[in-house]
Amino acid sequence: MKLELGNIFIHDIQFDDLSRVENGVLYINEEELREHLLEDENISSVSFDIAKPGESVRIMPVKDVIEPRVKVEGRGGVFPGVISKVDTVGSGRTNVLKGAAVVTTGTIVGFQEGIIDMSGPGADYTPFSKLNNLVVICEPVEGLKQHAHEKAVRFAGLKAAAYLGRLAKDLEADEVESFETPSLIESFRQYPDLPRVAYVQMLQTQGLLHDTYVYGVDMKQSITTMLYPTELMDGAIISGNCVSACDKNTTYHHLNNPVIRDLYARHGKELNFVGMIITNENVYLADKERSSDWSAKLAEFLGVDGVIISQEGFGNPDTDLIMNCKKIEAKGIKTVIITDEYAGRDGASQSLADADISANAVVTGGNANMVVNLPPMEKVIGHVKLADTIAGGFDGSLQPDGSIVVELQAITGATNELGFNRLSAR
Amino acid sequence: MNRAKGVVLFALCFVFGRKQSSGKERYLILITNNPKFQSDPEPRCDTEYIAGSYRDVLILVRDRIHQGHRLLSHPLSGSVKPNETPYKSILISKNTGGLDMDSLQIIEDSISTCDKFMQNPIKYGHNNQDALLADFSEVDYRLIVAAIASASR
Repeated sequence: MKLELGNIFIHDIQFDDLSRVENGVLYINEEELREHLLEDENISSVSFDIAKPGESVRIMPVKDVIEPRVKVEGRGGVFPGVISKVDTVGSGRTNVLKGAAVVTTGTIVGFQEGIIDMSGPGADYTPFSKLNNLVVICEPVEGLKQHAHEKAVRFAGLKAAAYLGRLAKDLEADEVESFETPSLIESFRQYPDLPRVAYVQMLQTQGLLHDTYVYGVDMKQSITTMLYPTELMDGAIISGNCVSACDKNTTYHHLNNPVIRDLYARHGKELNFVGMIITNENVYLADKERSSDWSAKLAEFLGVDGVIISQEGFGNPDTDLIMNCKKIEAKGIKTVIITDEYAGRDGASQSLADADISANAVVTGGNANMVVNLPPMEKVIGHVKLADTIAGGFDGSLQPDGSIVVELQAITGATNELGFNRLSAR
Repeated sequence: MNRAKGVVLFALCFVFGRKQSSGKERYLILITNNPKFQSDPEPRCDTEYIAGSYRDVLILVRDRIHQGHRLLSHPLSGSVKPNETPYKSILISKNTGGLDMDSLQIIEDSISTCDKFMQNPIKYGHNNQDALLADFSEVDYRLIVAAIASASR
């Protein structure tokens, strides 16, 4: 399966009478997009704002971040089984509005984290501070329950991203990238001497506000399975995850998974990237046993020498991570795990809730308990009232000058376990 | 199965699907301090409600594991830290056997994790406390209902 990504670089977003992309500027007709999103009867009002890199702007609480894309050639459409009809995606050509994103905000639960600062020290911790963001602020109808509210905001974000993506349908790309995964037997023929490597991606699937969807299927109801990595680039996996902002994977992360990109970059040179396995992180322990059994079985079936395993979330998923690691190592396959840490404010405590001697190659996304001081911003987009909750709400406090002392956990993408971070210890 | 029988069976499943269960719930015990389980008819399994803390629930579950019950749901369910949510619900087996070391390992690790977070227990909700508690309760409830659905498959 081969996919080309046609990147159209966006350096600015503006509201205008006609939605279009022109000379790297994304123009948006607010009214047209608002009408489109208000078709959902669970949403009572929609408003928009724009946040650009370097501005004194804070967005909170962030639910999801989504990159606008559109299928130009090949089967299916973006976000299959959700926005587009079910069809196998991941081949042909997809155009991308690179440098732009849709950010959804909505207070689904009162303790919801998710801060994006567009400037200042907080901006260094989130990759989304470097994007031109269209912020979609959705208010639910009176009395809407949390799970229905989450779904409404999830769909609003995806619909907005698909709307913007369609503006790129007939544009010429500034840059074209190509990604290809041949059949197993073909890749073994091509690179008989290179180590064979697969990617095991763990998806957050604990339940309400902790869910992930694959081709529209709630992944907690699936067993471990396989995808072509390019399917993710067309939105086969979307986020329904609202909590633990620092280490949840937004839909933007899934579309731009850096583990996949790095493995493709080394494919045919240092290693043979044969494909990927996706598995879940359910609460029920028998599900954990079954899913990790299948991860190990599929890795063995693929005949790989090594796998990279990435986690999503913390606590309960630590157990899935270690189960996957142990069982895959027991098949004689080397593993590297990517996680993050809750090691206390001083970083001195045990990092994970589970451990095993076979987890001897670990990459960390950082310590989510680390405390940072976010200075006041001139403008707050989203639910300003949440600042009142943050005063006591987060594991810190709102200072008299408007700054927030907060753990990294509150910052969207700060300790992401795909390694999609801007800071490193290198 | 011919087509007509299939349609009838499908229709019966549709009519009775919500009421019917696999009956596996009767093999479960829910230990919880979440008040939502006191007022709600779901789930249909034995429920032991304690008016205690998050940690108290973990300790009670550990005691049950020592008595031979097996742990069935992960004690750290939800990406909400123990120093934030006051609520915890955990499923264990109704039947007992020998001491299950895997269950013991997980609950002991979870207690250690809870204690780590409680070393600095600045809590949520200095403002808007009622709304936050309702949300914490709802999320804990939904996660365990999803686990019971897994158990009932």
